Amino acid sequence: MKKTFVFTILILAVLVSLVACGPKKAERPIKVGIVDTYSGPPAVYGNDALNGFKLALEEINKEGVLGTTIEFTTRDEQFKPDVGLSMAKELVLNEQVDVLAGTINSATALAISEYAKEEKVPFIVWISKSEKITGEQGHRYVFSTGENTYMAGKAGASALAQQPYTKYWIAGDDYEYGHAIGDSVQRNLKALKPEVEIIGESWWKVGEPDLVPYLTAIMAAKPDAVIFCTGGASMTNALKAIKATGMSEQVPIWIHTATDHAVLKPLGAEAPEGVMGTMDYHFYYPDTAENKAFVEAFEKAYGSPPGFPAFHGYVTAHLIAEAFKKAGALDREKFIDALEGLKVKSPAGGEIEMRACDHQLVLPMYLGVTKKVPEYDFLISSDIVTLTGDEVMPTCDEIKAARGE
Amino acid sequence: MEFGQSFSFAALGSQFLVGLSRAMILFVVCAGLSFVLGVLRVPNVAHGALYMIGAFSAYSISTQIGGNAGFWLALILAPLVVALVSLIAERVLFCHLYQREHLMLLLFTFALSLILGDLVKLVWGATYRSIMAPAFLRGSFPIFGSAFPRYNLFLLFIGPLVAVGLWFFVNKTKMGKISRAAAVDREMVGALGINVSWVFAAAFVIGCCLAGLGGALVAPTISITLGMDHNIIIEAFLIVTIGGLGNIWGALVGSLLFGVTQSLGVLFWPQFAIVFPYATVVIVLLLRPRGLLKSVW
Repeated sequence: MKKTFVFTILILAVLVSLVACGPKKAERPIKVGIVDTYSGPPAVYGNDALNGFKLALEEINKEGVLGTTIEFTTRDEQFKPDVGLSMAKELVLNEQVDVLAGTINSATALAISEYAKEEKVPFIVWISKSEKITGEQGHRYVFSTGENTYMAGKAGASALAQQPYTKYWIAGDDYEYGHAIGDSVQRNLKALKPEVEIIGESWWKVGEPDLVPYLTAIMAAKPDAVIFCTGGASMTNALKAIKATGMSEQVPIWIHTATDHAVLKPLGAEAPEGVMGTMDYHFYYPDTAENKAFVEAFEKAYGSPPGFPAFHGYVTAHLIAEAFKKAGALDREKFIDALEGLKVKSPAGGEIEMRACDHQLVLPMYLGVTKKVPEYDFLISSDIVTLTGDEVMPTCDEIKAARGE
Repeated sequence: MEFGQSFSFAALGSQFLVGLSRAMILFVVCAGLSFVLGVLRVPNVAHGALYMIGAFSAYSISTQIGGNAGFWLALILAPLVVALVSLIAERVLFCHLYQREHLMLLLFTFALSLILGDLVKLVWGATYRSIMAPAFLRGSFPIFGSAFPRYNLFLLFIGPLVAVGLWFFVNKTKMGKISRAAAVDREMVGALGINVSWVFAAAFVIGCCLAGLGGALVAPTISITLGMDHNIIIEAFLIVTIGGLGNIWGALVGSLLFGVTQSLGVLFWPQFAIVFPYATVVIVLLLRPRGLLKSVW
């Protein structure tokens, strides 16, 4: 009997001390919940963004934020919007994260964005390129640190409008991203140059392995220039087919992200030269001391140069840290107020701003042409022309109109 | 946009050739699938995964060795790698399952395709891979006034070569004759004192070898990536079905029909080109539900 009594007291003491421990630890770390694709082919981009984020956190956590550190938890959405959404919910409800971040899949991003709005949790999108995220479906709780289809289309259109071409052919992957890019470049091109005519379109199913028949059919129609709307594995297939048919020597071609080294590197010398592409970041451009230092640190940590997702991930981490510092408290609403219009140092040099009116990071667009150079065993973007964020982004009035405000 | 693009007969001719060359890869893959279907009665969903392994192996072999020789060796060795994988799968797993009903086999091979897919991810990772065709097969040359990739011309040679090789094997060798007989009546073949188990193993390995060859052949023209198995397996089953289950020549006819309707569809009606080959499948199955040629099932 006595033994039981002592045991009960002991248990009680332990329980009381546990409860007492709770409130003492007021300085809890800031938690970021990341939902992204870490399996299957898109994992390349998901991991790259995460590496950029981790690299920035190492620097940030050395000095700390609000006397604490930033921690993160990742979830693999497997490129499935329903999985991504339930994981975002789990992160908010179980892990009680302060901020959500991710994902490569635009459908997932839009689904999580809707949830973030209901739950009033800030959500920062870092790879998805749908212009709807910060456009017509934008709201107080969603931010984007990646370029989108509007910016890509406008950049491509302003480059093409300077050329004498009028008869265009549009071809691409038959899904949201492909059509979004196609619509955007077409809309902007016609606005800049009304005489432009789209003489034909071809859309192939996502993952269509052999694009040669599509390309030969396009060449037979003899357009002045071709706009390709492809991404991921299709991009490689398209570039291979362009090379095999010698298309880029016959017709001018523009493809958003064709100049991405993640696309060009696996192709090696097999990538076609002379394809116009647009990117918001290259590890070799802009050629600034800051960018060199960033690339060097990244290569040292992960063994390969950073891609555009790493750039976005890195900026995202710094935006989160700076916004919490400015907010002065672990408060979601204050965090959002602080993040609006916030400027942080860009790893590529200079400052980079989170635009207040639409929560879209102001990113430049680099227009370039694929070219063989002796320094690398793969093609790089050359003759780069920089379009500033203001030149390619929709105006705040356009955003208001799109959102029906 | 109007239905008919303006096109010339030259464009039609070159588009037809492009379709034919695409059909050659489909044929190599489908012939293997159909052979296994015919002899073993196994609807092998994992055939696509084996095709993917073929492509990834071709990548590893050609990058290890490098240069033109790398490609040619890959073309020979990649199917052998696939043969080895399939031999292990057959001896360890399949040989216990032949008597099961088709639905079981379908589920089993589907599971196997997922396992093989993950295996590929473990060995090669999730990144895109790409290999180059030998120098003289790169680029294009003009045919009917439009560009025709050299590699596709090479495919136009390889396809018939494989077809002739298969014909020779099935009709002129003892092994081929036995497997043909086993396709018709396996009990009878067993009753004649032939070790049916090993005949089946050999037939399975040969069929899978063709998947590997298809993978190696397609490797230089596409990005080698996870998920390439799903694309091919659906098309392959459609082709085998319209050709006549288990009939290798049916696979040839089906592939040609599929490849050519696709490439011509692209020329005539580019926005809806995806529909053409599938519409063809529907029409064929409406008119001839058991396929164009005689099905062995």
